Amino acid sequence: MSEAVPIPEAENPGDGEVLHYPRDGGDEGPIVVANEFVDVVVRRVETRNGVRLEIWSPRRNTCVRFDAVALDCLSYQEPEFITSLLARKPGP
Amino acid sequence: MATKPIGAGVEAGLESIRDGIAQGRFPARVFNDQEIFDIEQQRVFSKAWCFLAHESEIPDRGDYVTRYIANNNLIVARDESGEIHASLNMCRHRGNMMCKSEMGNASHFRCSYHGWVYKNSGELVGVPYMKEGYEGRIDKRDWGLIKVRTQTYAGLVFGTLDPDAPPLDEYLGGFQFYLDLYLKQGNSGSEVHGPPDHWVTETDWKIAAENFSGDGYHTPVAHQFGFNLGYFASSGATHSQGWAASIPGKGHGIGLGHTPGFPPFAGFPEELADEMRRSLSPEQVEVFSQTRTAVGTVFPNLSFLMQPFSIVPGQTGVRFVTMRLYHPIGPGKTEMYSWCLVPKDASDEYKQEAYRAYTLTFAQAGTFEQDDLENWARVTRSAGSTMARNIEFPYVMGMDSVRDPDFPGPGHVVKPYVNDSNFRNLWSRWSDYMTGQV
Repeated sequence: MSEAVPIPEAENPGDGEVLHYPRDGGDEGPIVVANEFVDVVVRRVETRNGVRLEIWSPRRNTCVRFDAVALDCLSYQEPEFITSLLARKPGP
Repeated sequence: MATKPIGAGVEAGLESIRDGIAQGRFPARVFNDQEIFDIEQQRVFSKAWCFLAHESEIPDRGDYVTRYIANNNLIVARDESGEIHASLNMCRHRGNMMCKSEMGNASHFRCSYHGWVYKNSGELVGVPYMKEGYEGRIDKRDWGLIKVRTQTYAGLVFGTLDPDAPPLDEYLGGFQFYLDLYLKQGNSGSEVHGPPDHWVTETDWKIAAENFSGDGYHTPVAHQFGFNLGYFASSGATHSQGWAASIPGKGHGIGLGHTPGFPPFAGFPEELADEMRRSLSPEQVEVFSQTRTAVGTVFPNLSFLMQPFSIVPGQTGVRFVTMRLYHPIGPGKTEMYSWCLVPKDASDEYKQEAYRAYTLTFAQAGTFEQDDLENWARVTRSAGSTMARNIEFPYVMGMDSVRDPDFPGPGHVVKPYVNDSNFRNLWSRWSDYMTGQV
């Protein structure tokens, strides 16, 4: 792995933990979202004074944590916004 | 005069097959022959409107399935604005397969070889090391996935590789009247019940397509258990009753089997039957209220069947619909796709019952399906044998039949149900394509 890739701050779930995630839309984490191209693990992370949503890509070894403002902002973006991000940077 | 062997000159052989159909003759060898298969790939499947998917298989944005036209694997996807696209499942960079799953959901497809990224509508959006590697020599707008022309009818998505093919409505040519029985069960239409059963069989696609264009003749023999045990609301004594309807010059055909005294729309829940009476035209109601079995083929290789099946022998039974695609993968070899269609508005209870009836009869391990495949595999094997090279089959049943003047549905419609009329029309159209008339 290239040294340029930051080490994610997320910790691997404990043994067996990753195999058990709610499939019924519950918010007990972690939640795995996957298709044939990629898989990510999503979970709520408590901070001292609030909460963030963490998106961790185990295969890519990258991770972001979005707060409510960031997520709200995402909620009204067009699909083209993600397309433009992929156009800008399709890989690491 | 016997059909000329293909070896005497391919084009002459195909012309002679075409002439033979009008006289009620069709050669055995076409059902298992490499040369015929190769020509079909070029002249039939690369020109006809071929079935890709039912819209209910990709209901949400980003949903996709992969399907074939000829030997081309296609991604059929609903994009982020709800439009359906069919694209060749091949990265434009070095030709890798983009989607390896048969179904999924993705806003973008990423190639696993060099990482080119496409929108689910097929546009190229991401090229790794664009600046460092390509130095501005590539315009992404020129390198989207190869598009395939699509059109829909009542939830069916068709594609064609021929840019000059007529519109789908014209191609169907009035057969929509009969398709509505399967596709417009109630105001909201039909939907697939789960993904298709999918398997490879040792049979030629044409044997299956012909059978499902209305072969009522085989039913009392091949499926005699259904009669004898009371699973099927017909009897040997009356099974020839009904109609064979075909669309001349288009290849589509449907057999409409009739059982005397069988109540109109029996096997549907009452409220659904009422809804169908309202949503179909008066002419359709007249035709379908007399129909026990409706078994039809859209040229070339999409078929449907509706009939009641009695879980408890002797009872009226439950109506179910099977939709099936016979995808040719070699001479005498077919990849089968088989769906169960259910009325969208029906109760979950009826949907489950219909699916159970479908599973017991025409899914991969269904009893009727096994009866058919047992026969079809042997027909295929015979057709490929050396002695069968110049043997022809008789297609003369109903040659002198005149159109039933009282029948309100379109096309050439003859009685009885036991008839070769639909098959002559089917192979006549096949010959049009094979000889380059289309």
